[in-house]
Amino acid sequence: MVGIFIQPGAFAITPHKVSVCILLKIYAPPGLRAVPYPFISIAQHNRLGLFLLALTKSCDDIVEPKLDEFIHQFRVAGGFSSHWYINHLTSSLSSLLSPDDLFNFFAEMRGILAGPDSGVVEDDQLMLDLNSNLGIFLRRCVLAFNLLSFEGVCHLLTNIEIYRKEAPSSCPPYEQPCLDDSSSNLETCSEYENMDLENFVYEKVSEEIEARKEASEKVPFHLHAPKTLLDLVDDIDVPADLVSKHSEKGRQAGSYGDPTNNMLPDTDPSSGTFLRTNWQVQGYLQEQADTIEKDGSSVSLNGFEIILQQLQKMAPELHRVHFLRYLNSQSHDDYIAALENLHCYFDYSAGTEGFDFVPPVSSNSYGKYEIALLCLGMMQFHFGHPKLALEVLTEAVRVSQQQSNDTCLAYTLAAISNLLFENGISSTSKMLGLSYSPLTSVGITLSVQQQLFVLLRGSLKRAESLKLKRLVASNHLAMAKFDLTHVQRPLLSFGPKAFMKLRTCPVDVCKEIRLSYHLISDFGSEGSAMTVDGAFSTAWLKNLQKPMGSLVLSLESGSSNSSNVFQFCAQPTSIPGSVLQLLGSSYLLRATAWELYGSAPLSRMNALVHATCFADASSSSDAALAYVKLIQHLAVFKGYRGAFSALKIAEEKFLSVSKSQILLCKLQLLHDCALHRGQLKLAQQVCDELRVLASPVTGVDMQLKTEAGLRHARTLLAASQFREAASVAHSLFCMCYGYNLQVENASVLLLLAEIHKKSGNAVVGLPYALASLSFCQSFNLDLLKASATLTLAELWLSLGSSHATRALNLIHGAFPMILGHGGLELCSRAYIIEAKCYLSDPNFNVSENYEVVIDSLRQASDELQLLEYHEMAAEAFYLMAMVYDKLGQLEKREEAAASFKKHILALNNPQDKDD
Amino acid sequence: MSSKESCRIVERKKESCRSELRIAIRQLNDRCLYSASKWAAEQLTGIEQDPAKFTPSNTRFQRGSSSIQRRYRTNEITATPVAGVSYVTTPVMVEDDLVDGDFYLLAKSYFDCREYKRAAHVLRDQSGRKSLFLRFYALYLAGEKRKEEEMIELEGPLGKSDAINRELVPLERELSTLRKNGTIDPFGLYLYGLVLKQNGSESLARTVLEESVNNYPWNWNVWSELQSLCTTIDILNSLNLNNHWMKDFFLASAYQELRMHNEALAKYQYLQGTFCYSNYIQAQVAKVQYSLREFDQVEATFEELLRNDPYRVDDMDMYSNVLYAKESASALSHLAHRVFMTDKYRPESCCIIGNYYSLKGMHEKSVVYFRRALKLNKNYLSAWTLMGHEFVEMKNTPAAVDAYRRAVDIDPCDYRAWYGLGQAYEMMGMPFYALHYFRKSVFLQPNDSRLWIAMGQCYETEQLRMLDEAIKCYRRAADCNDGEAIALHQLAKLHSEVGRADEAAFYYKKDLERMEDEEREGPNVVEALIYLATYCRAQERYEEAEVYCTRLLDYTGPERETAKSLLRGMGMGSSQSGPPGMDIEQFPP
Repeated sequence: MVGIFIQPGAFAITPHKVSVCILLKIYAPPGLRAVPYPFISIAQHNRLGLFLLALTKSCDDIVEPKLDEFIHQFRVAGGFSSHWYINHLTSSLSSLLSPDDLFNFFAEMRGILAGPDSGVVEDDQLMLDLNSNLGIFLRRCVLAFNLLSFEGVCHLLTNIEIYRKEAPSSCPPYEQPCLDDSSSNLETCSEYENMDLENFVYEKVSEEIEARKEASEKVPFHLHAPKTLLDLVDDIDVPADLVSKHSEKGRQAGSYGDPTNNMLPDTDPSSGTFLRTNWQVQGYLQEQADTIEKDGSSVSLNGFEIILQQLQKMAPELHRVHFLRYLNSQSHDDYIAALENLHCYFDYSAGTEGFDFVPPVSSNSYGKYEIALLCLGMMQFHFGHPKLALEVLTEAVRVSQQQSNDTCLAYTLAAISNLLFENGISSTSKMLGLSYSPLTSVGITLSVQQQLFVLLRGSLKRAESLKLKRLVASNHLAMAKFDLTHVQRPLLSFGPKAFMKLRTCPVDVCKEIRLSYHLISDFGSEGSAMTVDGAFSTAWLKNLQKPMGSLVLSLESGSSNSSNVFQFCAQPTSIPGSVLQLLGSSYLLRATAWELYGSAPLSRMNALVHATCFADASSSSDAALAYVKLIQHLAVFKGYRGAFSALKIAEEKFLSVSKSQILLCKLQLLHDCALHRGQLKLAQQVCDELRVLASPVTGVDMQLKTEAGLRHARTLLAASQFREAASVAHSLFCMCYGYNLQVENASVLLLLAEIHKKSGNAVVGLPYALASLSFCQSFNLDLLKASATLTLAELWLSLGSSHATRALNLIHGAFPMILGHGGLELCSRAYIIEAKCYLSDPNFNVSENYEVVIDSLRQASDELQLLEYHEMAAEAFYLMAMVYDKLGQLEKREEAAASFKKHILALNNPQDKDD
Repeated sequence: MSSKESCRIVERKKESCRSELRIAIRQLNDRCLYSASKWAAEQLTGIEQDPAKFTPSNTRFQRGSSSIQRRYRTNEITATPVAGVSYVTTPVMVEDDLVDGDFYLLAKSYFDCREYKRAAHVLRDQSGRKSLFLRFYALYLAGEKRKEEEMIELEGPLGKSDAINRELVPLERELSTLRKNGTIDPFGLYLYGLVLKQNGSESLARTVLEESVNNYPWNWNVWSELQSLCTTIDILNSLNLNNHWMKDFFLASAYQELRMHNEALAKYQYLQGTFCYSNYIQAQVAKVQYSLREFDQVEATFEELLRNDPYRVDDMDMYSNVLYAKESASALSHLAHRVFMTDKYRPESCCIIGNYYSLKGMHEKSVVYFRRALKLNKNYLSAWTLMGHEFVEMKNTPAAVDAYRRAVDIDPCDYRAWYGLGQAYEMMGMPFYALHYFRKSVFLQPNDSRLWIAMGQCYETEQLRMLDEAIKCYRRAADCNDGEAIALHQLAKLHSEVGRADEAAFYYKKDLERMEDEEREGPNVVEALIYLATYCRAQERYEEAEVYCTRLLDYTGPERETAKSLLRGMGMGSSQSGPPGMDIEQFPP
């Protein structure tokens, strides 16, 4: 009852298990032949053995199959074409008529077990090894039967009768307690009329359940909630390239299974529904948790809820169900339900159920409620309440310190640092500080960054000392991310000043990423210990549905589906999915880092690696992110046409991910495209949509808000509303400064310089450009620096022709970077400015060196036409026409002028050519 | 209308109630609906007898009844019958005795011996209405009995005990065809509703039960089933019920369940106009008063009840709660002994004993008895909550949390269990986590100052220090008539901590006034006086300050010195303030 945890692993004998026993008897009859009677070959015999093994191990459902389902499964298992088996099974079942029959049956069953002195047995004889999987199963059945009271035997008998009598067509449930039995008023009409509807619902549900992917690893149970903890990688978007090839994950999943197989049995207990063994149910829950973690929206809210409700009804003491309900409602953004279920779960389990990391401490009857706090904190974070989350996590830190639960503390610190990363919290001194951070006790107030750094260090150290490999890896990633965007300053500001170089350190980032990658070698060596054979068996049972060529495992079907077979073959040595996910994240972070540092090829390569190698293992948002990077790359380097078609593919693939990066990416592309084509209204509209995506809470979704602000300013700039643009950019700068978004500051400053340049105030623009340059330098943003250099050159140029040489030198300095890594727009801009420099240089003789200028301009105009950037294309053609005019080549001049006219017209009459 | 005439009308009404009930009791007995007939009979004797017609022996039960009632009735609003309510007279059902024959008699005997299946078998071909009902009812009860047995037999490792009444499905099938044919009587409808409810089709069950009570209102079982289906006030209001005096009983009990205590109380008081000696109503009134925390009245009522009905076990657990709250151990032990002798295997009895041990501080023993109560009835709400309290006392917080959570899962409106959960988590040093539970409990019972105070204290803990929120809580507590006057003091203290001197002074003053009214002394008075004195001096209201200081001089200890220095600081030291100051200087205590 209260406070007593019912021991897991209790094993009840059910009709289904009796049928499995009957098959076992066929498999290993107490005879002496190597291949017993009904079997044609050894292979067939082995196949039955495998089938039975899979039956006892698989965890694809919570209830045992009914007789007809079981027979169907058995048939599909292949090779058992004759009806002999099924007849034998049904007749054996129907011969069990009195309690005594059952007693005799189980006494016989004991006969097929080998004695403890199995060495004496001849080679030919078929005996089940006592310690084999099937042997243990049989022994448990016999033991469970022997433990039954007479009432229990009577119940078993009744149940077998029901089990046997159930019509194969599975008559519709008489009355179903429906989805929400308390509140539904629908049933007033008539309960009979609802039946079709209900069946329909169930069918739909089962389809959805089928569509899920089997994850295959064992993960610490509580780690499923904190999706947020694992995806420490966020992106800062810069272009990438896309490969349209993608794995067919998820598409082929619906092919297995007949509809009855996964159809939910009705919950009427009189119809003989039995829960599978505890082990199998837990395995099922584990798999579901993995699925939700990977891609929450692939599990339907109500469908899974029904299963969980049923499970709760059948096993009220299995509290993990509440946790799954929490996960389910969280992934479907039901805040209230998630909160309730979370509290409920921890009230019942006291956090002692399933936290696999901590060996059970026998003396501690206290419970581990700090885990509840950790989960609650992460839930609040997930729902966008950073303040509440911080409050809860602070409490978690305190309680874990009190309970000296270092594991939990390490996780909590990681969660807090993640929280600080994601959300701009301008001052934490009041909330945090007091309880943790060794420095505050000295009375030194730290900035948020410094606190973050201290937290990360603390968490990493703890995780290392506790050997929490996944946490170590994800902490390294977090560190890398921190190093990427923060300049480190010494923590103590007094004492002899150490040498400070105010730059980020790319070497550190690389080092951290590499350290996190070591995780794979840790798991590679101990892989076999981590596998769950339940998933293995489940996969096997499902593969049975496919047409079989040989009687060996279904390896040959590899051509049709990649992932399943990969999972299947690679299983015994494979690496847990969560580890793969982390590794995938490290690749994404690399891609992001290279984006920032300005190496487009490396960034693209890393995104590609993620998209090809980790697509199956990573969470859907990570996978989407990789695609987004590739699409952006495509847009910047190959123009919009390709990008949009790639986007279409990605949209289909990530259909379910609602507020996703894909949508964001689409809006970004649309905005860029609209700006280039001069469709300013559309651009403004898209910009507004982008802004709506961000949460209204201050300090949340900062990236998104910055992005929206930048694009707003750019739209205003394109509309020549310089004052408004400048004011937007200015307030954006203030925001970024307040929340310490330094990297974004660089681009905001550049934008300001750009605005002033366009408005004709080159002198005002210069300091902004210089400031942006220095930001770029200290954060190693090479590509952005090149772009800032270009702007600087333009500014110089617009100060008068006497500065042309200076500008030219600047451009030539930036050219290697721009031509090596820059996109179409940047390159063509560089070409045009170079041409302008030459043309305005009084020492430059056009008629002698016109090739230099014309080449640049032609290059630029080609690229700009790809981008449909009318304004700049027009400029290029104008310059070209001027040059030709000077050279006196009238024909070519007319040609260039015509192109110029075309682009100007297109710019002034923007129409939607296509979406 | 003359008083005599109105008197006659009341008398006529009583008489009609009486005759209706008499017939109903017989009919209910014929159908073996014993608890309903018990209830009806109780109400029948609850009607005040016409003294002219009956000898004193007839009114034995009613004699001397109510010194206490009278005592408390003086300050009540005399319940006047709602004007213009015309009751629908439901025609009394005519029995068709001719059809039911000897088999019915045999079956009823079997039924009375609790051999239900046998009874049903005897009636298998009978077509009389009584026989038909009795067969259904016997089948239903047979299924229930088997279910209870199976519940223990089937208890699985994961707590699965989903034994069901296997007769429900065939019963539902038969009853629904009967209903479609239109040959079903109100009793059949009752059974149909019962079956539907257990099968989970609640709204249909409601309709059916509604139909049943509109045709035959005297079956209390139907009303109580209907009431259990009215989980919100909206559902209750949507019911279409004929006006019958039984409806008032129903409404009262429904209001009570929906925690509309004052409405329930009004209804019961109205009913007492007719059924003034009804034990049932008396107990229900006590229940409502218990929810309103009027313990003295509840105690008096129960004493009275026990005098009239000494072997009563129903509702006695609540009486024990009252005795527990008043810490009268001997009375509680007496009660425990009494119920123990009457019927020891009632969950109420176990609960009372558990309460007794708890009061004695023997928490392990008390847990044993609460466990027993829960064994007898797994859904016995208050036992779970009380057991949670015991575990809290035993410092076994996880077990306490578990117990409370089970209570909450049985009834999500049990504010005590939510409160208990909050308390348990606060004990474990997780005040922020606890707030969730306090919020729940406060939401359910917004007029209970103790809950607000608990929540305020939670906000005030040194881990949180969310003083503004704490102040809000205490303000709510002070608004709902905080009996122990914690809120005012805390409000004053917190305001002074946050640095809002005006508010702090206001609340100190209020607190001081209150303590003066209740003639209480203690450190709080001193604290208030010191603060007020300092405050007034800072505000340059020297006269007031002087008043407070002089009051402080009555105390011994450091505060007297403070007062003296304050007085001196105001430039009216001992020399100016006259005799009292001089006394102090010259005659130290």
